[in-house]
Amino acid sequence: MKFLAYFRSVAAKVLHRSRVENDMDEELRSHIQNRADDLERSGLPRAEAERRARIDFGGYQKYKEEIRESLGAHFLDTLLQDIRYAARMLRKSPGFTAVAVLTLALGIGANTAIFSLMDTVMLRMLPVQRPGELVQMGIMTHGFGRSPRTIYTNPLWESLRVRQDIFAGIFAWGNTQFNLAPSGVAEDVRGIYVSGSYFPTLGVRPAQGRLITPDDDKRGCAGVAVLGYGFWQEHFGGAPVDGRTISINGHPFEIIGVSAPGFFGAEVGRAFDVAAPICSEAIVEGKNSSLDQRSAWWLHVIARQKPGINNEQISARLAVLSTQIFGETVPTNWKPSDQKRFLGWTLRALPAGTGISNLRSQYDLPLKTLMAIAGFVLLLACTNVASLMLARAAARSKEIGVRLALGASRLRLVRQLLTESVLLSCSGALLGILFAQWGSRLVVDYISTGRNEISLDLTLDGRVLIFTAAVAILTGLLFGVLPAFRATRVSLADAMKGASSTKTQVDARFRAGRWMVAAQLAISLVLVATTGLFVRSFANLVNLDVGFDRSNVLLANVDLHNAGQAGGQLATMREEMLRRVRALPGVISASESLVTPISGGVRDDFIVVDGPNAPKGDDRDVYLNYVTPDYFATLRSRLIEGRDFNAQDKAGAPQVAIVNQALARKFYRGIEPVGKTFRQYATATVLGAPFLIVGVTGDAKYDTLREDAPPTTYFPLAQIEGTLEHASIEIRTAARASQLAKPVAESVLGVNKSAAIQFTTLAQQVDDSLTQERLLATLSGFFGALALLLAMIGFYGVLAYLLLQRQREIGIRKALGAQRGAILRLVMRDVAMLLLAGVVAGLAITWATTRFVQSLLFDLPARDAATFALSVALLAAVALVACWIPARRAMRVDPMVALRYE
Amino acid sequence: MTTQAQILPGTLDLLILRAVSLGPLHGYGILLRIGQISGNALLIEQGALYPGLFRLVRQGLLKASWGTSENNRRAKFYELTAAGRKRLREEADGWNRLAAAIASALATQPEEV
Repeated sequence: MKFLAYFRSVAAKVLHRSRVENDMDEELRSHIQNRADDLERSGLPRAEAERRARIDFGGYQKYKEEIRESLGAHFLDTLLQDIRYAARMLRKSPGFTAVAVLTLALGIGANTAIFSLMDTVMLRMLPVQRPGELVQMGIMTHGFGRSPRTIYTNPLWESLRVRQDIFAGIFAWGNTQFNLAPSGVAEDVRGIYVSGSYFPTLGVRPAQGRLITPDDDKRGCAGVAVLGYGFWQEHFGGAPVDGRTISINGHPFEIIGVSAPGFFGAEVGRAFDVAAPICSEAIVEGKNSSLDQRSAWWLHVIARQKPGINNEQISARLAVLSTQIFGETVPTNWKPSDQKRFLGWTLRALPAGTGISNLRSQYDLPLKTLMAIAGFVLLLACTNVASLMLARAAARSKEIGVRLALGASRLRLVRQLLTESVLLSCSGALLGILFAQWGSRLVVDYISTGRNEISLDLTLDGRVLIFTAAVAILTGLLFGVLPAFRATRVSLADAMKGASSTKTQVDARFRAGRWMVAAQLAISLVLVATTGLFVRSFANLVNLDVGFDRSNVLLANVDLHNAGQAGGQLATMREEMLRRVRALPGVISASESLVTPISGGVRDDFIVVDGPNAPKGDDRDVYLNYVTPDYFATLRSRLIEGRDFNAQDKAGAPQVAIVNQALARKFYRGIEPVGKTFRQYATATVLGAPFLIVGVTGDAKYDTLREDAPPTTYFPLAQIEGTLEHASIEIRTAARASQLAKPVAESVLGVNKSAAIQFTTLAQQVDDSLTQERLLATLSGFFGALALLLAMIGFYGVLAYLLLQRQREIGIRKALGAQRGAILRLVMRDVAMLLLAGVVAGLAITWATTRFVQSLLFDLPARDAATFALSVALLAAVALVACWIPARRAMRVDPMVALRYE
Repeated sequence: MTTQAQILPGTLDLLILRAVSLGPLHGYGILLRIGQISGNALLIEQGALYPGLFRLVRQGLLKASWGTSENNRRAKFYELTAAGRKRLREEADGWNRLAAAIASALATQPEEV
């Protein structure tokens, strides 16, 4: 603020300068006239009196300047003058300016891009009224080291809503996908179910029509929908919506309005397209509705604090509320021990002014890592430009000598040169902001996948601009200070003589240049090694044996909610669909399952195996899947023993199961599992009928690539209890999987017109689960390559410059009979020393820092020796390439030419 | 002509404040007043007055307004503010103490030591 006030006063001075100047002039002139009047009265003629008055007054301009200085506008004048001069100097050497600005633009752009991502994901306040008052309702489960749970069941939410009395408002919402296509291939958009208090509590206004209110959110409500502004623009072209309807999963919903532009929801990174009241979940899901389910966790809750109520009061009230709320919503299907734990849970208010975000937890460390990497890149860019400036200082020593000789103070010249540096870095920053805008958009597109669409508002805000400005100025000073002081340390006599630099000056610059090169090599090594770690970690994940073959498998997720068929008929219909798909040309095999690999979906339950060594308690939990015959063949998972399921394993037939090796190892410990049985709990306490194990399959990853395959058991899909309104079909194809999407859709719709289908490929599904690793590998790869390039240019530049300075020495050596080999050795010894110093320093920094990214690495130690060795080799190769041209030029120095230089 | 003493650095402000304390004055008038009250013993280059005047206005010790001089010319008149009056008292006290100390030091005779 102080700075702003100062700036304002300076600006006012500039604006009113003419007035102030006039005032000043008038006052001084009036003084001289008054003096002249007195002198005239004492007998002098008027002209002589005025002359004397002026002499008595003294240096008119000098005093005016002193007055200006005492008014404080002086600094700004000098600055403007310096900037004009700097701009002129930079225009005079366009090559240098272009290289420097581009280098800085890349460095600053990288930092701005990453920072603007961090800003949007982590720092920015929600675009709603008084975001600072918002708190997220968390549930403390009091488990060891657990972070608070932030997800609620609808009964829990309803109980909380009616009982709470300490918040000014409280609302809930749940994320979902809405299929807007009445039938056929699904047209999924991002949907949210919101409580009636959602829009009023956030203080969001409608862009059109009205928003959902508490009156719309009552049990048994009619279907109404509010559109997100962006979605409305894109799909309705901004046309009036009143009276129109959309189809949500086959049910008509009346569009009542559009939310304000800029409002994306309470969740950063996940904007909504269509919002519907929570009560309408019953319309969409029908008898599968979660509204009364005490163990369906799907809602988030945020509250707005009342002014004047402090955190202690909130905690105290929440403690009382917790007992009541959890007491009346115990999930009755939970095991007694879990129910008891549930009763001990408590509510807590967590700050939520910046909204909540999955992205935040997922990308917190990756973004910070990338920020650090970008910082290193900028540092490298700085050293590069600094060495350019050093070389330039040598070329300008005459100009600087003249200015010193004319009486400029050294500090004044340093200030001038620093102005030049900051002007350079600011130009770089302007260009960098352009790069950043484009780059951060690219990153968001990159981590956004079909299943998890990410939308972030990346418009530049004040924080990003301030960050960039600060970086630019700091950068300018960082690379400018050393060259500026070096440049102004010239011997006047030599500079005026026009002699090339003296021995001591060369030595001084030489030392500075050498340090710079060693520093560059060290920084590059850190970047290259870190990149190496991320790339190798990503490669580890990609080349992992996942237990199935992901290539050429098309996945079709078929939604049969609206098929209008009951249980038994649905099963027949699904079988018919699978039969038709299998008959398509180009289909090698096809199967259906409850869960597809790496889809993120998990089904798990306890299994009970008899025997003294069998696992107990929670250890009995295994992952489940229900599959049709040919599932293992379609995914090319190995069947190690026993048999696959077949047509005889149908409903009513003896219950059978296939287990994976992990399950066999854990539950049977070396005993042959085929032919054995296990059971599941039919209710909370009673065991059901036994399952006979008919086969053992190889381990396959289930929901994530990052963990070992969990103990898994497969059951025949035909023997699943209850009705299945979804079908996930895996189709192994002869050619590219995606080409079969159309014929498969036709086959499925041929069986039932109201089916909704969503396609992906297994390869895509696996890829989508690796966005974080791929982002890190790609971006750090880009930064690493940039670092190598910068290091190469810098190394080349400095070496060429240093060798040019030593041309005379080399000439003399050659004249005295040194062979080309000896000269090469001389140069190479230098290079080797620099390389060694750089590598040692770089390795030390790498050694100390990479452990922070251990948790981002898959199956790779943070101090992986092989990666480090490879990075050193790569860097050495680059350094040798960079020094090749200067070294060859040095070997070719003609002694006569070199000696004639003086 | 009497020999004039070079003015000590920092004392010009004090002299300006003192001169203005006797009544509002324009720049040239301040100069004459200083000459008058110091018995024309001090050598001040006339222009040197103005940076000091502007500084004192900026510090809020003086305030300035345009008026007409006794020669019927437009001129800027200065007068003391409350802060200026206070400052003058402090500076004068300080100066008197210093002057007394120096005078006493210089007046000391060998036998008194």
